Amino acid sequence: MKKLNYILGIIFSVFISVIALQSCTTSKAVITGKSGAQLWGENCVRCHNSPSPVDFTDEEWKTIGLHMQVRANLTKEETEKIIEFLSSAN
Amino acid sequence: MKTKLILIAFFISGINLLQAQDSTQAQIQSIKDEIAIIKKPVQTHFMLRGFTQFGFDASDENINFNMTSFNPVLLWRHGDRFLIEAELEMEYMSNQFEINLGYANASYIVTKGLVVRAGKFLIPFGTFGERFHPSWVNKFASQPLGFGHDGIAPSGDLGIEVRGGFQLGSSKLNYSLYAVNGPRIKDGTEEPEEAGMLMFKNETENNNNKAIGTRIGILPLSNSSLEIGLSAYYAAPGSSHSPFEGDPLNEDLNYENVTAMLTAVDLSYVKIISPLMGIIDIKGQYSLSNISNAVYYNPEDTSRYTFTNESSAYYVQMAYRPALAENQILKNFEIAGRYSAYTTPVGSLWADNKSQITVGLNYWLSWRTVIKANYQINESSMSGGHGMSTMTGGNGSMFQLHIAAGF
Repeated sequence: MKKLNYILGIIFSVFISVIALQSCTTSKAVITGKSGAQLWGENCVRCHNSPSPVDFTDEEWKTIGLHMQVRANLTKEETEKIIEFLSSAN
Repeated sequence: MKTKLILIAFFISGINLLQAQDSTQAQIQSIKDEIAIIKKPVQTHFMLRGFTQFGFDASDENINFNMTSFNPVLLWRHGDRFLIEAELEMEYMSNQFEINLGYANASYIVTKGLVVRAGKFLIPFGTFGERFHPSWVNKFASQPLGFGHDGIAPSGDLGIEVRGGFQLGSSKLNYSLYAVNGPRIKDGTEEPEEAGMLMFKNETENNNNKAIGTRIGILPLSNSSLEIGLSAYYAAPGSSHSPFEGDPLNEDLNYENVTAMLTAVDLSYVKIISPLMGIIDIKGQYSLSNISNAVYYNPEDTSRYTFTNESSAYYVQMAYRPALAENQILKNFEIAGRYSAYTTPVGSLWADNKSQITVGLNYWLSWRTVIKANYQINESSMSGGHGMSTMTGGNGSMFQLHIAAGF
């Protein structure tokens, strides 16, 4: 158990360090300036293959987008941009 | 006189003309209003989606055609803030066709980064149960050890939750905080060989306590490729009444003060690696269950016994798909490997030390339809026993060929 706590402690420390480094080195403008296509490519693939835009209609993408916003804890901006991209490309 | 009459006639005609114009304009406006109502954006939308998986399993014991899941998912959206989701789980288990409610809940987006959800929902204890369990998302035909029936991790429960995600500099943070009915402890009156185990399928509460839990996930890299999550879940699973009431020999046994503390660490890293011409997908979760000590009764030899009620389970998996390859067939293949282990308390009647190695070759027919060929080796320190089979982690090896589709 002691060993496990030690390992968890190391993971947590590395984790916090990486966050601190990343937060300092990348400007927020880079994040907010991402396109819907880029966010689609980065976020959907975290759980499953990136979906094909042509598989659903605009209304369906809105419903699926809301579902994913809740399930995968996507931010509001990410969700809106991804829906906009999928609706424009279907 | 004649001129006056002509002027009066002109005047009357002019008034009539103006009245006619007003009437026409009113009619046009009325039609415009009706069109606007018809063209008003649809506020509600209903969808039927879901997933399924079927195929065959060949083990040392037998060869079976199998349907491991058929799960319709219903979604109903009102506006852009309100969502109702429900999933029915249909599967064959131990020669029986079972239908269960996976989840059914309502979510409301209160504001940026804050969602309130109530009903039966998937518990965000780690990530596998909530995000990766659908058969077309799971890279393998089976679940890792420690999940599902008699597993260490809670799956779905009734309660209320707040959750959300937001940007934190170049990183992202997501959180979940919830209160649910929680599990009950198996006291051994129904299944003596499982005394001390938590039963998460507990729709009817056995006490006034609620289980509380949280998960915090951080995506430290700006491209969202890495996510690390920490989960905690606390419950008091015992009833205030002794399960042996009326039995003078054992009615002093009571589990009211038993507490359960579950913790988990999860990790996910998914990235397109151009030099490798493909996608690397690494996932893992370590779960720990710590239940306070209690005394249990063994009806087989009428003895009492106790044990340190600690269990742990973990899995690590890795998959690679050459999605950037030019060859149209090669780019649809994916290789995957997973190792999982599950250790249950020494001294309990369900003490075991299981491990499982699974290797797989997948072929993606579309982004949500996959053929999975798996070879799985299971090892267990307990030979036979309750619920032990190659499927659930008994000794032996198994080959599985399944097709999974999201629809």
